[in-house]
Amino acid sequence: MRNQLPVVSCQLPVQSSVVGRPSLASLSKRRIHLSEGHGFSRAVSFAKKFRALAPEVSILSFRAAFVFFVVCLCLSIAASAQTVVLKGGKLLTITHGTVDNGVVVMQNGKITAVGGPGTAIPAGAQVIDVTGMTVYPGLIDAETHLGLTEIGAEAMTNDLVEPSDEIMPHMHVYDAFHAETELIPVTRINGITNAIVAPAEGDSLPGQDSFIQLAGGNRDEMILGRDVALPMNVSGDQRRRGGGGEGGIGGRFPSTRMGVVAQLRQTFLDAQDYASKQNAPASSASGDKAAPARPGKRDLKMEALLPYLQGKRPVVLTAHQADEVLTAVELAREFNLHVILNHVDKAENVVDQIAAYRVPVIVGPIYTFPGDEERYDAVYRIPAELAKRGVKIAFATYGDDHNARNLPYQAGYAVAFGLPYDDALKAITINPAEMFGVADQLGSLDVGKTANVVVANGDPLDVRTDVKHVFIQGKEIPLESKQTRLRDMYMPK
Amino acid sequence: MQMRKWTIVPALLLLAIACAAQQGNMPNASIAAVPAALPQSQPAVASGDVVIRGGTIMTATHGNIQNGAILIHNGKIAAIGQTVNAPAGAKVIDATGKFVTPGIIDAHSHSALDGDVNEATSPVVPHMMMKDAFDYQAKDIYRALASGVTSELLLHGSADMIGGQAVVIKNKYGLERDQLLFPGAPQSIKFASGENPRRVFGSRNQLPSTRMGNFEVMRAAFIEAREYMRDWDDYNGKVKNGDKSARAPKKDLKLEALADILRGKLLVQIHCYRADELLTELEIAKEFGYKVRGFHHALEAYKVAPQIAAAGTSIATFADWWGYKQEAWDAIPWNAVISMRKGVKVAIKSDSDDYVRRLNQEAGKMMRYGGATEQEALQMVTINPAWIIGVDDKTGSLDVGKDADITIWTGHPLSTVALADKVLIDGEVYFDRSLPGLGLTHYSKPMRSEGGGFGGDDSGVQQ
Repeated sequence: MRNQLPVVSCQLPVQSSVVGRPSLASLSKRRIHLSEGHGFSRAVSFAKKFRALAPEVSILSFRAAFVFFVVCLCLSIAASAQTVVLKGGKLLTITHGTVDNGVVVMQNGKITAVGGPGTAIPAGAQVIDVTGMTVYPGLIDAETHLGLTEIGAEAMTNDLVEPSDEIMPHMHVYDAFHAETELIPVTRINGITNAIVAPAEGDSLPGQDSFIQLAGGNRDEMILGRDVALPMNVSGDQRRRGGGGEGGIGGRFPSTRMGVVAQLRQTFLDAQDYASKQNAPASSASGDKAAPARPGKRDLKMEALLPYLQGKRPVVLTAHQADEVLTAVELAREFNLHVILNHVDKAENVVDQIAAYRVPVIVGPIYTFPGDEERYDAVYRIPAELAKRGVKIAFATYGDDHNARNLPYQAGYAVAFGLPYDDALKAITINPAEMFGVADQLGSLDVGKTANVVVANGDPLDVRTDVKHVFIQGKEIPLESKQTRLRDMYMPK
Repeated sequence: MQMRKWTIVPALLLLAIACAAQQGNMPNASIAAVPAALPQSQPAVASGDVVIRGGTIMTATHGNIQNGAILIHNGKIAAIGQTVNAPAGAKVIDATGKFVTPGIIDAHSHSALDGDVNEATSPVVPHMMMKDAFDYQAKDIYRALASGVTSELLLHGSADMIGGQAVVIKNKYGLERDQLLFPGAPQSIKFASGENPRRVFGSRNQLPSTRMGNFEVMRAAFIEAREYMRDWDDYNGKVKNGDKSARAPKKDLKLEALADILRGKLLVQIHCYRADELLTELEIAKEFGYKVRGFHHALEAYKVAPQIAAAGTSIATFADWWGYKQEAWDAIPWNAVISMRKGVKVAIKSDSDDYVRRLNQEAGKMMRYGGATEQEALQMVTINPAWIIGVDDKTGSLDVGKDADITIWTGHPLSTVALADKVLIDGEVYFDRSLPGLGLTHYSKPMRSEGGGFGGDDSGVQQ
């Protein structure tokens, strides 16, 4: 249906708003240029080079040593200018409880101190008084399409999934990621600083996820990890696309869940076979032991699956209802995949089974409807039921990309239905960081971690709370977006 | 109740036949019972008095009462204040530590229509009656009720420039169809504009396929309706003058409905996004002499709020939805508060079987986006949508004389963590969270299975 849209309407969103509304033309020039702020990261790498040179300084001339001293002095001034201290706030550290009247020191993009009111404040630091505010680590959304979509209904602004085949693991989100999307500033000023970007669930294997931070001058500054996970779906629309459902007229395999699973199983078998051939020491067919190793023709699809078959990176299993959970995990176990379960929104009957798997779960979105005959809160209660059983959970806004900013409210609503508050906070910070292997850098207020820090005037999980400061890599992000610029044009003074 | 002739006449006829048929073998008392079968019948009213005591009472019109009380008599709010004189034997609901608000009202819903949202075979279908598609057993109603929502305006979809006529319901889940209809609610009609009509008809190479086409279709319809009204006026004039040769024009359902718009008998509810279209709609309304009750979605209302306010038109908008289509590209979450500050009456609505379940949270966001006060935010999901629907004299606030449509919350109703604990409609509890199973008081059967899902409400049409 999207393909039938008249060509004339398939303009890029920014162009059309500028063309259609000349009064907004000036807005597009007021984009935030974060690259300006990245001078400090250049300074850091500069400093590293100098540290490497330091042993040689003793043999340099006095003059060179003097120049080095001056440069170091300048650097230290530059560094202290980059030091920001948040003082007086209530710290939600995530990993070591709450600290009242706390202090967070951010230097060179890292958190360098976290503590109570007695924490030393470096001389020359910029001190921001956040008394009465709440300070917490940047939130992490465990599944979005940020950068893959701009306007929902405009096909030319969407690069969500490649529907020509069900098995597309060689699609890379980073190849479509649009760093300049207006969705990212809208999202980050509500305190979401990092996210998984995944392709949509239209295929059984729709491609590989990237892990992003929601600030940076260009794609390479924003994508922190390429191909960090492989989504796998046994429950998407792909089976209907093939054959129009069971007995459908499309006539293309697969058209049923059996077909989808068989196709996936064969795919992993093929990849194992491919791996064994690629790894063969020499051509044994010819019997010539002297012949050099000659790998077969490269197959990008197969190649893409290898790190996952080796268990090096997680496979994110999409499964909504109980039978899909069981089927998907069974298949994953068969190939020793490293599993993260996703959704499980209609799987309340198998929460014990899910806990027994001992795998982390991206739960929800919890706003899907309960099944027939079910109580209104059947889905809302699933995060609490999983957490109660010791399952590590994370939340995701998957599919609601324009309002990925509302991630914390999903966690808050799960609290209303029994999820302990601390578990809710972890589910949008340290838990997704652990699931995707970045917990050493993100997800809590701890010394040494990337300084992604948010300051708000209340409980981050409450819809009434306003975010007042967002720091990404220690740099303060202006609280501006396309939407705030329009607000500022029309809000009565 | 503004019931039109051709619905009331057959209804009375049926009543007469029913009475005639029954008179032979039924006692006289049965005659009094017959009107209960009519549409818009009296609600099932609690016979006993009810007192809600304790908690924070948020009236939506005159501030909060800490640790107050509400007396309900005959399904109406009989007294409200710090204390009330409750008769002995009144049923007491203890709300200590809880919050009490008017029932939440959704001024834009397509729930419970079993997918029959758009009669998209013509861009002008004002004679479609949503009541004819009203699936009163749909579980959307249960879920909305369990989320503190007591009334909804079930609208025709946005495929057509002039859509059908809405039905106003009270979420008395478990009762029979006619007991869910809001007694005395005025009739609303749904108009649309912008992308949806031009896409639906344009994709078939029909008029309209542009916004120019959209509005011409509307103007042409009203011009035709004027001619129809003139024909009837001529005829009625002749009859009045004793002209025996006068021939009545043919009754035309569609033109009669359009004429009712021009006669001011219907509340006009218009799906409209862009600022330019909001102005055009007001212009056409002025040209043809009807009022626009509410602009729905109205995502660019903040750009032309003074003009909307001057027309006495309200808006029913989303809290923070944006970007799902081109005409939602300039949506901002400050729309509601900017428009309100410029004099527009503002409601936050769902247009979704999903979001209807947390309209209280959506209203809470308005405290943050632009600094609505607590009462202003609460009004956006209570008294203001009640005004848009035309039932603000009956519901939407905790005031003496109003229907006792009341939600008791476990926490602050504008926060993320509040749950609807008990929901009363006309003074009777319809949902009680503490009950096992579904938490329903008037329903014991297994639930009907039915489709539905997020965003699938306005079938084939994007919001």
